[in-house]
Formats: sequence, structure tokens, C-alpha cells
Amino acid sequence: MSTAARRRLMRDFKRMQTDPPAGVSASPVPDNVMTWNAVIIGPADTPFEDGTFRLVMQFEEQYPNKPPQVKFISQMFHPNVYATGELCLDILQNRWSPTYDVAAVLTSIQRFEPPPADTRSTASFAYKPYLSLLNDPNTGSPANVEASNLYKDNRKEYTKRVRETVEKSWED
Amino acid sequence: MKVTIQKWNTVATWRWDIPEEDVCGICQVHFDGTCPTCKYPGDDCQLLSGKCGHNFHMHCIMEWIKQESSRGQCPMCRQPFEWADQNNESAGQIE
Repeated sequence: MSTAARRRLMRDFKRMQTDPPAGVSASPVPDNVMTWNAVIIGPADTPFEDGTFRLVMQFEEQYPNKPPQVKFISQMFHPNVYATGELCLDILQNRWSPTYDVAAVLTSIQRFEPPPADTRSTASFAYKPYLSLLNDPNTGSPANVEASNLYKDNRKEYTKRVRETVEKSWED
Repeated sequence: MKVTIQKWNTVATWRWDIPEEDVCGICQVHFDGTCPTCKYPGDDCQLLSGKCGHNFHMHCIMEWIKQESSRGQCPMCRQPFEWADQNNESAGQIE
């Protein structure tokens, strides 16, 4: 059945194919455009470098007026990722905009900066960087207290624990 | 020589007075197409221009503004979305 959400997701898929963003990939599962599998490559110069982290994105019929549920399937060690894999990221909650698409969501998780609302032109609005997810965790209200404490107090151990998840991500 | 016109057919085209390449930021469809719920572009599926300068299919932006989470904000610039009324230059705010 063709609904507004499904048509929009087909456009998102077309954009992922014709104009693929660097460091992320995603496609709908066979026979259901409302569920997508995605992979984010850990960004260079971070402890997450070269990790291949898998995610699942679940869309509702209210998309793009409601954000997708995004969840890491790969094990993550990050102050803003819950043990369940769910992310604490404001653009997926109270800073959602219906102009975001799959590419914008994944890129902002990977680069860890908010997408421009107008994904075709960057001139529209100057966002203040509020959360650099993988790169610059927000330890204010951590989803993973242990990761948050290590990030603040023992960066060496934090990096070691993250590198373990990077190696594990290659086995998934 | 006298010519008698027996019959003629007129054809007209139209397009919205906005840049040709523009798409609606919400549904990502070109403005010369319709929002996802309409079949025919034009009067049935109009565009709405915000005072902030951002355009959307009227049906797309209405659906967003209806969401509590929108807080009445333009999806592009997050300013309160007020539409520019072209007839009397006054503006209204969508509630």
C-alpha cells in the first residue's frame, strides 16, 4: 500500500542510492519499507574509528512528522547509548524536524552534529552544536553511567572499552 | 481571401512562482507535483509561504503544525511559522 510515509521513504531510499552520504549506508528490509537496516562507520580521529556499527530504524505511518525509532544492534559503549542500544539524541526526540530524512539522521549520528533542516542547502539556519554523539559525548544526563564516568575520569580506560566494541562490531 | 475560423483549441501551462528546482522540504516532492495526499497540482494542492521565506505544500505544513511536537515552528528555521497572506499583506499564524 502506498501511503505518505511509504512514498517519502522511497524518496529517502532513492537519495541514499543517488547521493550516498559518506560513512553510512542503509536500506529497507525486503518487503517492508517501514523498517531499515543501517551501518555507521566510526568517524576518524575518535575511539570509534573504523567500527562498523549496525542499527535498525523503525518508521511509523506518521513519518516524517514523527521521528523514526533508531537503535544500535551492535554493542555500543557510549555515554549517550543505553544498554538496549537506544540513543539519547535530541534530534530523534524534541528537536525532530520533518525535513530530516534517513541520510540526514544517520549522518548526524555518525558525524555527531545536527543536520541542516534544509538538506539541500546549508544556508538556511545556523544550528548551535548541542551534541556531538560519537565524538563529543554529552555526559550531562548519561544513558550509560559507566561510560560517562570513564569518559570524564579515565579516558584511557574509556578508549580501551570503546575499542573492544569496535573489534566486536567487525564480527557481527 | 476570406478565412473563417471554425474551431480552435487553447492550451495553457502554469507553474508556481518559485525557483523551479525547489522541493517541499517535508515530502521532498517538487512543487509542481502534489503533496502525498493529493492527485492534482494547482488549486487543490496549494503552496503556503511562511513569513520566514520557506515554502511547503499547504497540506504538508498543516500536518506538521498539527503535531504538538512542532511547537508551531517552521521545520526549516524553527521560527514561529506564520504564513504570508498575498492578498492583503497581513499575516496569520496557524493554530
